[in-house]
Amino acid sequence: MIRYFSNIWQSITTLLIGLRITLVHLAKARKGIVTLQYPEERWPRPERNIGFSHDSYNVIRSRLHVDIDDCIGCLKCVRACPVDCIHIKTVKVEKGTDILEANHIGITSNGTQKRLLLTRFDIDMSECCYCNLCVYPCPEDCIFMTGGPNSSKQEIDYEFSEYNRSDLIYRFAKVPKDQVEKYTPPPKEKVKIDVAG
Amino acid sequence: MELLLQKFSEVSFLSGIPSALLFVFAATLIAVSLFMFVAVNAIVAVYAERKISAFMQDRLGPMGQGVGLHAGKWGLLQTVADAIKLLIKEDIIPSLADRKLFILAPFILFIGAFIVFVGIPFNQHILVADFNIGVFYIIAMSSIGVIGIILAGYGSNNKWALYGAMRSAAQIISYEIPLALSLLTVIMLVGSLKMQDIIIAQHGLIWGILPNWFIFNNPFTFIAFFIFFISGVAEVNRTPFDLPEAESELVAGFHTEYSGMRWAFFFLAEYANMFIVAAMSAILFLGGWQSPIPGYMDSPAWGLFWFMGKAIFLIFVMMWFRWTFPRLRTDQLMQMCWKYFLPISFINILGVGLWDLWLN
Ligand code: SF4
Ligand code: SF4
Repeated sequence: MIRYFSNIWQSITTLLIGLRITLVHLAKARKGIVTLQYPEERWPRPERNIGFSHDSYNVIRSRLHVDIDDCIGCLKCVRACPVDCIHIKTVKVEKGTDILEANHIGITSNGTQKRLLLTRFDIDMSECCYCNLCVYPCPEDCIFMTGGPNSSKQEIDYEFSEYNRSDLIYRFAKVPKDQVEKYTPPPKEKVKIDVAG
Repeated sequence: MELLLQKFSEVSFLSGIPSALLFVFAATLIAVSLFMFVAVNAIVAVYAERKISAFMQDRLGPMGQGVGLHAGKWGLLQTVADAIKLLIKEDIIPSLADRKLFILAPFILFIGAFIVFVGIPFNQHILVADFNIGVFYIIAMSSIGVIGIILAGYGSNNKWALYGAMRSAAQIISYEIPLALSLLTVIMLVGSLKMQDIIIAQHGLIWGILPNWFIFNNPFTFIAFFIFFISGVAEVNRTPFDLPEAESELVAGFHTEYSGMRWAFFFLAEYANMFIVAAMSAILFLGGWQSPIPGYMDSPAWGLFWFMGKAIFLIFVMMWFRWTFPRLRTDQLMQMCWKYFLPISFINILGVGLWDLWLN
């Protein structure tokens, strides 16, 4: 019989404790909310700190960006890329001269005279493995990851989602569409070797 | 209803219409407005429930900023959008279900909830019909819903649905008893089953300070209120008594196979039932439309305010329960009903009888 009443008492008191906890949370609803309204609010990005004192050491792995006006088309980045997701096509043009109709500037910001016009510079970010290997060999420092030490050149962009996968191919070449044809060299004629002689 | 008919007969351009037609018109008008009330109640209550649950769990709940596809400021349009979505959803009936029963079930459940509103007084005048057997009518009609639940479970041809329906039957039948017994205490004190009589009997003050509501009338009715309210929560299958639809065990219980409009009817019925339990507790124990300070703010408009205020507060308490307590096991549920609520209810009845004899 004592057990019976102590059961009732115990259940009432413990239920009240539970009710109190939820009520306190409800009353403090303004303060303790943990939800982040994602597109409008974001968590702060942690400071870059990997223990090296190299300031120029670009370890931000966000999204690749190319300053196409500085690119000399040397293909070093293409060769470095382990997954072959950079695609470059160039044509020979007169050294160091601007070609306005193709948005081509003859001299890079480092002072190098360009010999090649880039008709295509595509990076497929859906294939990229963010290894950063393409960044180091670039003689003009024109391919880099956005943000971090480069945030003065390009704001960070680490959430570049798209509805269509083909939209993840970033096209950096600036030659206008109608000019591409003009600057594409004709395919090389195959040399026929007459085996029979 | 009589008041509405009387008003109609006073309007001159309606005088040529036969009274039978007027009656049908009045009945339709009332039915439609009650349906609107039930629908709006569900939409508002779902929104409130989601917000309250979110705040209790330190979340934000439905939110929307800006325009376009967002759900309005603070997600205010979320439930409206949900309702539209449910309306335009595909109507799926499982091929092995018992078609007729499957289609019929949500309507029976909804009618069981809807028909009860006929007997609920919103204030001094807004009451469709003040039966002599008001309380009895409400208790009887609200039990129709369980037929809908069992049909839904049986007709779905799904083991989860059937389990849910069987649990629901056991639960509702058990909890009907303490519910009715604690309700009897009030009826013993009033001596009438009429809703308005019960409310009018709660006029005035008791002990000099408290309003003469039955919850404060004597210690036995105080306990009876809690038994009534908790049994009511158990009857509408809400957490912690949501065994019929226990998500973690039975997917969605008796409405596992339902979707779209038919599912929306289950939802409407659930929230209508919540309102009924809250309203009944308010009427029987908290003075219905009586103001807490007798004599002040007693006009019909204030009556509506007090009644809705009490009902909404009790609905809030139900939501508070839901987001605080874990679900009971079936044996615990039955134990609570048969071992605790039932004996206490009997003692309550005895106590109220003795109290009444002793005082009068
Ligand atoms: S980061 Fe690595 S994978 Fe991506 S483009 Fe550069 S070299 Fe290729
Ligand atoms: S390594 Fe730099 S300069 Fe060379 S092609 Fe790549 S981006 Fe252009």
